[in-house]
Amino acid sequence: MGVSKKVSLTVFSLIMAAGALMWLIQLWRGLILTDMNNAYSWGLYVSALAFFVGNAAGGLVLSSMIYLFGVTALKPFARIGALCAFANVAAAMLIVLSDLGRPFRVLNLLLHPQIMSPLVWDVIVLNLYAGLSLIYLYLLMLPDLAARTGFLNKIALPVPDPAGFSDRWAKRLAPFSLVAAVSIHVVTAWIFATQGARGWWHTAVMAPDFVAAALASGTAVVMLVAVLCYGTADKFQNAFRIMAIFIATSFFIHLFLMYNDFVIHAWYGSDHAKEALAITLQEYGLAHAFEVLAPLAGVVLLLNARVRQTMSGIMAGCLLIIAGIFVHRILLMPAAFNQMPLTLAPLGSQHTLWSVPIASGRYVPPADTFVSHHSYFPTLVEIMIFAGVLSFVCALILVAVHKLPVVKEG
Amino acid sequence: MRRGMVIDLEKCIGCRSCAVACKQHNAQPAGSWWNRVVTPGSDRHLTASAPENLYFLPIHCQHCQNAPCVKVCPVGATYQTDDGTVLIDFERCIGCRYCMAACPYGVRQFNWESSKDGIKRYEYQNGYTYGYPEPFRLDNRLVYSPVRIKGIVEKCHFCAHYQARGLDPACVRACPGKARHVGDLDDPDSRVSQMIRQMNGFTLLPEKGTRPNVYYLPPKRKEV
Ligand code: SF4
Ligand code: SF4
Ligand code: SF4
Repeated sequence: MGVSKKVSLTVFSLIMAAGALMWLIQLWRGLILTDMNNAYSWGLYVSALAFFVGNAAGGLVLSSMIYLFGVTALKPFARIGALCAFANVAAAMLIVLSDLGRPFRVLNLLLHPQIMSPLVWDVIVLNLYAGLSLIYLYLLMLPDLAARTGFLNKIALPVPDPAGFSDRWAKRLAPFSLVAAVSIHVVTAWIFATQGARGWWHTAVMAPDFVAAALASGTAVVMLVAVLCYGTADKFQNAFRIMAIFIATSFFIHLFLMYNDFVIHAWYGSDHAKEALAITLQEYGLAHAFEVLAPLAGVVLLLNARVRQTMSGIMAGCLLIIAGIFVHRILLMPAAFNQMPLTLAPLGSQHTLWSVPIASGRYVPPADTFVSHHSYFPTLVEIMIFAGVLSFVCALILVAVHKLPVVKEG
Repeated sequence: MRRGMVIDLEKCIGCRSCAVACKQHNAQPAGSWWNRVVTPGSDRHLTASAPENLYFLPIHCQHCQNAPCVKVCPVGATYQTDDGTVLIDFERCIGCRYCMAACPYGVRQFNWESSKDGIKRYEYQNGYTYGYPEPFRLDNRLVYSPVRIKGIVEKCHFCAHYQARGLDPACVRACPGKARHVGDLDDPDSRVSQMIRQMNGFTLLPEKGTRPNVYYLPPKRKEV
């Protein structure tokens, strides 16, 4: 391991340790250490769940493009795809754990699963996808595992023609991984979209849009790791071009779906819809501008062949896209929670809609007991726990690339 | 038998006794209010939104028949009893707060910290305790406990502990205006069913399709 890798790994480990410490403190004191309250009951952690699930899409893109659609140019990156998918699904499950008030009761999910709950479906598909990604990674590495020594050699399946075996099974598994991958996004979107109480989420466009955004950020994650591992040599340029086009297409579909929904609701102009749109476009106007313009800039960069020849260009493009989609996931919450579902027209009043405030659940002397608006901003504890999980993703990928035959030499 | 409640807004004088009784009888932690009384249209608690426009609206769990909170709960901690009451098993809840996002009425309360920390924050004097003193189990599920568990969700349990002793809910008994009534909504001849029929009973947010078991009777006049 080179010096720069060692330094990065140390930094990631330190952040992970800080995150774990914050989680212990949160466990001890309770979620009072976050900035959530009864009216605004989900924050950074659940946004991060959506973010990590989306980032896991890359594995699917690669494996199905290669093995279902025959885009062989991407083959060198297939292992990276499976690895990134696993790391991000694992992170999604970790961050949910920090959102639970009683994480040690998580076993209740196995003991008393309630099959109507989209959260149960999500737990099932996330685990399935994590397992499949691992199997995929193993299959793809198989030819090189056999050639290694020691532990890696021992875990290699003793088959006569590892390369052929790996190829055959990767092809057979591809359709399943495609289904599993699409379902993690669809089911995660359903967690929100099924909620009739929240106008911002309760739209049929949520699931397709979730898939589109995930394909953009998930592929950007793989591209980022790929360029870090392989550099920008000529023989990879075609692969980068294909990925750039794929990212751009997905991102534009995402933009289309999002604004399509906005236009329909803005045109009809119900007070509820206008309120939700005002929260996103005015109160969080800067964030909205970022979620659109940053990935747009990223796409413009990546679509440029000259930019794709530079390491920094590809990195900047991918990071802009990932950051933009992250902000998009953050914006899941404000318009959902700051528009009170219980809004009524007071009897005998003309043209007024009034939001019924909710007991905040936290006693703060100068603050209101009942609130109908909360300018949520994650506390240091929330940010550190999120940073810890993000570092876990980076560290896992770094270590795996170093220890396992993820990157093909030569 | 479908247990329901009728709240007569004509009779409600906005005293908030029900909110207080609920909070005290059910030993609610600092900052938690299972039951709140709002003044529609107003910024603050008891001010009129416009001259000659003042009425009061008590809100707690509506014990929905098509309850989104029950359907989202991944572990079945929130569940419906045979009489339609929606309860939470304090020992089962994992604290995911999915039900809070799902409930359109904003009645679910999370225990953000331990009761002990909350009481300290409230600066209650040493030793001041309040509330029904015994834990209460229904079908062996803990649906009430005077000492609260940190990190779980709670809400109105239709005073299941009092019902077991043949008593009406605390809010019903405490209401000085006699605005609250409980009874069987399945029985067309019950007092509550008749009130709903005769006095134009309505529910909150019918467009959400939750089919609440709590009905309201409209106020005929406003306070000025
Ligand atoms: S009012 Fe809310 S908490 Fe009560 S049953 Fe309906 S959805 Fe559930
Ligand atoms: S917070 Fe508790 S009651 Fe609510 S959905 Fe989660 S497990 Fe169920
Ligand atoms: S029925 Fe009991 S728990 Fe429910 S609001 Fe009334 S007093 Fe509170």
